[in-house]
Amino acid sequence: MSSLEVVEKKNRYGKSFKSFLNEWMILILFIALFLISVVSLPKFRTTRNIMNILRQASFISIIALGEFFVILIGNMDMSITSIIGMTSIYFSGMVANSGVPVFWAILIVLLLSAIVGVINGMLTVYGRMPSFIGTLTVMNILKGIYFIYSKGLPISGLPESFNFLGAGYIGVIPFPVILMLVVALILHIFTQHTEMGRSFYAVGGNIEAAKLSGINIKFISVFAFVICALLSSIGSLGLTSRSLSGNVMIGENLLFDVMTIVVLGGTSLTGGRGKVFGVVIGALFLQVISNIMILMSVNTYWQWVVKGIILIVVVVIDANSKHD
Amino acid sequence: MAAENLIEVRNCTMVFPGVKALDNVDFTLLAGECHGLVGENGAGKSTLSKCIIGDYRMSEGQLFVKGEEIHIPSYTVRKSHEMGIAIVHQEFQLMEDLNGLENIFIGRYEKRGPIIDWKKLQKKGEELLEYLQYDLDLKVKVKHLRTAEKQIIQLAKALLDNPDVIIFDELTAVLQEDGIQNIFRIIDLLKAKGIGIIYISHRLDEIFECCDRYTVLCDGKYVNSGFVKDIDKGELVKMIIGRELKNVYPPKSEQFGDLLLEIKNFTSPTSFRDVNLEVRAGEVVGISGLLGAGKTELLHAIFGNHKLVSGEVLIKGEPVKIRNPQQAIKYGLGVIPDERRLLGLNMLFNIRDNTTLASMKFFKKWKVFQNHRKEAEAALEINKRLNLRYHSLYQLVNKLSGGNQQKVVIAKWMLRNCDVFLLDEPTRGIDVGAKFEIYSLISELAKAGKGVILVSPELEEIIGLSNRVYVMYEGKIMDVVEGENITQEVIIQDLLGVVEA
Repeated sequence: MSSLEVVEKKNRYGKSFKSFLNEWMILILFIALFLISVVSLPKFRTTRNIMNILRQASFISIIALGEFFVILIGNMDMSITSIIGMTSIYFSGMVANSGVPVFWAILIVLLLSAIVGVINGMLTVYGRMPSFIGTLTVMNILKGIYFIYSKGLPISGLPESFNFLGAGYIGVIPFPVILMLVVALILHIFTQHTEMGRSFYAVGGNIEAAKLSGINIKFISVFAFVICALLSSIGSLGLTSRSLSGNVMIGENLLFDVMTIVVLGGTSLTGGRGKVFGVVIGALFLQVISNIMILMSVNTYWQWVVKGIILIVVVVIDANSKHD
Repeated sequence: MAAENLIEVRNCTMVFPGVKALDNVDFTLLAGECHGLVGENGAGKSTLSKCIIGDYRMSEGQLFVKGEEIHIPSYTVRKSHEMGIAIVHQEFQLMEDLNGLENIFIGRYEKRGPIIDWKKLQKKGEELLEYLQYDLDLKVKVKHLRTAEKQIIQLAKALLDNPDVIIFDELTAVLQEDGIQNIFRIIDLLKAKGIGIIYISHRLDEIFECCDRYTVLCDGKYVNSGFVKDIDKGELVKMIIGRELKNVYPPKSEQFGDLLLEIKNFTSPTSFRDVNLEVRAGEVVGISGLLGAGKTELLHAIFGNHKLVSGEVLIKGEPVKIRNPQQAIKYGLGVIPDERRLLGLNMLFNIRDNTTLASMKFFKKWKVFQNHRKEAEAALEINKRLNLRYHSLYQLVNKLSGGNQQKVVIAKWMLRNCDVFLLDEPTRGIDVGAKFEIYSLISELAKAGKGVILVSPELEEIIGLSNRVYVMYEGKIMDVVEGENITQEVIIQDLLGVVEA
């Protein structure tokens, strides 16, 4: 006890190598997978392919980072597919059909998404609906609304310049990749180095203790849903920009991939544990797997099977690692 | 009935990777006796009981049950069960949504073909309750039962197979005075039938009240055993902690300052009504009462975490409104809740983050970012003052012992520089040594001019620490006892609602 400071320094992070491995297992797996692919697949190691992977991982990881906040507080947001669809349809509708300037259209869809986030949060916090059911309901209501508006048809006619968001380059690096890195960096600092960011972990780890420690748990919970909706909406704008058309089906198969990414990234499904860059690595990992399967001409249906198995393996390992 | 060794443990050693949890321990249990197994947390009490029930297999040594030597490598919980050894735990292993009857017979239903014979079960259940001489409706869902009644269900379940040995593993830790007395009554009953009881408890008074013999363990080693009637409490404490403890309770502070907190006419929808209470600087105010008297609810109401129908709060003479914990904290209140794992700590956080959880806004860099280094320095300083035993500030709190976890919760509010500390059962499930540290902490807080409200089911604790005691009975303050009038007799009378004519 006398040499406390010494112990303090030596054990700066109080973590053994084993717990480091536990926390960053996905990074190690990712590096291994990447190296193996580079060595064994000639088509994989081209700059163009690598950039492609990065670009494809960028918007999905922005969306996954949104879901990350909701899962971090121990909830789940099923409505992201509809927020993505809604953003895509109303943005395209406003710009292509009603002639609203792109800038204002972006602001309006972000505002709409934020409102949906508030509704999701309110249903969960004040309505005491299990978030799974609450957001599932919101998902269907939203879907109904934008299908009524678009009659289920795609909306094309977006200006070419908008294409930059999803397909532009700065030097050799795709713009979406830079956007993703900036978003991730801001969120990393937010979660690790601000009072509000730490509060998400406090709420997810033990909501009662957080409340008794003076954290505004209702605000934090609602805010998590708002962040989720906003990031989903930003992700949707990126995806819309790539095809230059609004599409009702744009978010349809994303929910599963998003959940897989968040969990792959080391986020605990029961809340309170997870890292922003873990989620980014999770997105890259999943994208590399998809890319390899495409290069090896594995058909889409088999890809679903493989991704499903990955999710099962990760969740089972995660759930069992807590039983020590 | 002639006394025979129901259980005999010889030279038991239990080695876990890196630790010797038990070192050459001897233990015997006679038929018809209640044998107190005492020691601090980590002394090896539960390890020994787990060796006896076959949950662990001892590394070395012999175990005899009713004179028959047990083949250790093939010894299991199932086997010990067949040999007539039962254990009743402190934690409820009951299904809250099933009724008492189902909880007792779950897995051992009486059936007629594939159909459960409820009538027969009801009859058997009633027989068990008759045996325990306790009146209880078995048709009620367990979640609606009181703590003491849940314990009865657990006991009934253990008695189902007519065991010869029953281990009471800190059964009374969650019970109030009347529930404990009831357990003692049942122990006498069981003893009279020749059943041997191993009694594990942190409350030494209980050992003297209900045990015939004792065995003391300290750091996994056998210290002593003998007849309870031959020793006094001081000697027992000395054996348990390996040193002498003169003054259990630090001297009470006599210097009181201004009024810090006043509450007037506090009434909750169901738990309490018309409660008036005040705390001055430097004062420890005790709230005593049986389970269900409304103590915890009152404490949470003061902290803005329990619904009120009416009531006023004055902080330092100024009337204020406290609607939620955030406002309570703003006005200088801090709460140390009874369930520290459920309400006090974030088990996924390390020591630093738990310590600074309520004071993050004091450690800002450029008003936005958290200054983690400053946080760590502050947390280190406060935890050193509290004599916290730990490896690193970055260690998760779930690996700490109960006493050290409690210190982290207290550190959280000391760091926040609260004026009034609301403590709810601060020594629940904490071993003797750590208890004394918590006591001196409470007294230091008072000496530093803080106000303390102390809720505890342990009368002795309330008496030993408080300057004034409010006694609650069924949601009402029955009496306020001050200074030298704070005695066991007076409080117990009030506790039980005895009103002098």
